[in-house]
Amino acid sequence: MKATETAVGVQGLCKTYGATQAVNEVSFSVERGEVFALLGPNGAGKTTTIEILEGFRRRDAGRVEVLGVDPGERATQRWLRNRLGVVLQELAVEPFLSVRQVVSRNAGFYPAPRPVDEVLDLVGLSEKSDARVKTLSGGQQRRLDVGLGIVGNPELLFLDEPTTGLDPAGRRMSWDLVRSLAAEGTTVILTTHYMEEAEALADRVAIVARGVVVGSGAPDQIGGRDVGTATIRFRLANGVAASRLPLAVTAGDDGSLAVRTDDEVRALNTLTSWALQAGVDLVGLTVSRTTLEDVYLRLTGDAEGHDGGVGPQSTDTAGRVDDHDRAESRRAA
Amino acid sequence: MSTPGPAAAPSAIGGPSDLRLVARQVRYEQLSFWRNRTGAIFTVIFSVVFLLLLGASAGSSRITFLGNIKLVQYYVPGFVAYGVMAACFSTLAISLVFRRETGLLKRLRLSPLPAWALLAAIFVSTLIVALVQIALLLAVGRLGFGVHLPSNLVAFALALLVGVFAFTALGVAMSTLIPTTEAAGPLTSIVFFVLLFLSGLWFPLQPGSTLARISAYFPIRHFIVAVFAPFNAHAGSPWAWHDLAVLALWGAAGCFVAARRWRWAPRGG
Repeated sequence: MKATETAVGVQGLCKTYGATQAVNEVSFSVERGEVFALLGPNGAGKTTTIEILEGFRRRDAGRVEVLGVDPGERATQRWLRNRLGVVLQELAVEPFLSVRQVVSRNAGFYPAPRPVDEVLDLVGLSEKSDARVKTLSGGQQRRLDVGLGIVGNPELLFLDEPTTGLDPAGRRMSWDLVRSLAAEGTTVILTTHYMEEAEALADRVAIVARGVVVGSGAPDQIGGRDVGTATIRFRLANGVAASRLPLAVTAGDDGSLAVRTDDEVRALNTLTSWALQAGVDLVGLTVSRTTLEDVYLRLTGDAEGHDGGVGPQSTDTAGRVDDHDRAESRRAA
Repeated sequence: MSTPGPAAAPSAIGGPSDLRLVARQVRYEQLSFWRNRTGAIFTVIFSVVFLLLLGASAGSSRITFLGNIKLVQYYVPGFVAYGVMAACFSTLAISLVFRRETGLLKRLRLSPLPAWALLAAIFVSTLIVALVQIALLLAVGRLGFGVHLPSNLVAFALALLVGVFAFTALGVAMSTLIPTTEAAGPLTSIVFFVLLFLSGLWFPLQPGSTLARISAYFPIRHFIVAVFAPFNAHAGSPWAWHDLAVLALWGAAGCFVAARRWRWAPRGG
C-alpha cells in the first residue's frame, strides 16, 4: 500500500503526426498534490501530451508513468480510469438530459463517486439541477463539464483549458474549485493560454512551444523572473522634456517612459530625488519585474524562431501583444 | 487516497458489474432520445405519418405484378423496413457524428465505462427505437388498413435481425465518413432518401425495370423485399434468402469501414 510520491513522470516523450513533430523529447514530472500547468500557444503540443497521459493517444517514444502505471497499458487502463478525472477542451455535455441526470449517470461509472449534490454544489449548479443541459449558458455548461471531471473523486485531474469561454466570475469559481481540490490532495494538470491562470493556480509551470519544453519552474521564478531587470514606468506632465531626466529612458507610443535597471532601488532614488528638486510630477509611477507573460513571449518567441509565424501558432501570441508595453518588452527581449 | 499497486488490483474489482452498467446506460440513452423531441418525431412519427398518408391515398388499388395484392399490403412491410433503417442508419449516423464532434464520445472513452459497454448500450437503444416503430407501424397497418400481419414470424424476425445488423453497421460506417455535425443531417438524408426512392418505398418497382436493376446494387431494396416476403407468403416464399445474403454482405462491408475509420475524437476540429 505504499503510495508513490510522483503522480506523473514523463521522460523523452515523442509524438509525430505525419511530418509534424507534435511532441519532441518532452520530460517533466508532477508530484502528488501538486497543481501543474502546461502553458503554450495553440499547436504547441499541450493537448497531445495530455492525451498521451490520459491513455487516449499512443506515444512514439519515451517513458510515461501515471499514478505508477503506463497509461498505454491495456491491463491497467480501467484501474487508471477509475482514478482519473478529465475535462476536455470541447464542451462535452449531453444536451437533452437534465444537469442532475448527466452527473448521476457519470457518477455510476466510478467505484467511489462524489455525491451528486456535492458536485452540483461545488460547481455552483445546485439551482440548475433540473434544467435541461441545452438551456444552460455556455459558462454553466462549462461548469457542468468540470463537474463531470470531478464526479469520480479523481486522484489526478486533467483540465484542458478549463476556463476558456468563462466570464470572470465563472473563472474565479473554477479557480476556487481547483484550489480546494488541490487542498484535498488531488493532483491537477492543466493546460492554459492564460498567464494569470497559471500564476494563480500552478505550483509549477512548464512552457511548451513547438513540442518542446522551453522553460519550467515555479511561476514566480520561471525564466529568472525573480532576479534581473526591473522596469520603472511613469509619464511626464506636458511641457517637461524627457532630456532633462537624470536617467536613460525609452519612450512608448502612448507617451509613457520606461527605465530598465538591474538596481531599481538606486534608480528610483535618483529619479525621485530629481523629481522633487525639479518640482516635476512622475505620473503613474510603477515598478515591475518581468511578468510571466514577458517570459512566456520571450521563450515561445525564441522557439518559433522569430519567423513572423503563420497560422494558429502565431495568432495566439499576436493576439496578446496588442498592449503596447508588452510589445515593447518583447522587442527588448 | 492510498494507491494500491495496480497489478494487485484487477480492473473489474470494486466497480459496478458491467451488465448493470450497460442497462443503466441504455436507460439514459433512451431518456436522451425521447427527450430530443425533434429527433424522436423525425425518426418515429415520420414513418407512421407516411404510412397513414400513403395507405389512405392507395385506397383499394392493387398491384397486378405482385400477385394482385392490395397496395397498402406492400406499404406496411415497406415502412417497417423504413422504420428500422431510419433508426439504425440515419438517426444513429447523425447522433454518432454529433457525439464525436462535440467530444461526448471522447469523454466517455476516458471514463471507466468500457468502450464495448458504451457501444452495446447505443446499439440496444437503437434497437428499442426500431422495435417501437415496428410495433406502431404494424398496429396502424392492422387496425387502420386491415393488412395481414406476417404469416411466418420466424422469417419476419430473421429479416429484421439481418436488417438491424446491416443498417447499424452501415450507420456507424456512414458516421465515420462525415466530417462535421453540420454535414451530418444533410449528407445522411440525401443518401437515405435517394436510395429509398430508387428502392421502391413510395411505389412498388416492376421486376426487371431499370430502377429495380439499379436498386439491386444497394441494400435498401433487398431489405424491403426481405421484410415483404413473410407478410405475403401466399404470393411466394417467406424466405428471401438472396436478399438476406446481399444485406448481410452490405453489413459486413459496413463493419469493415466502421472498424477501419472509427474515431473517438472529433474529426472536424
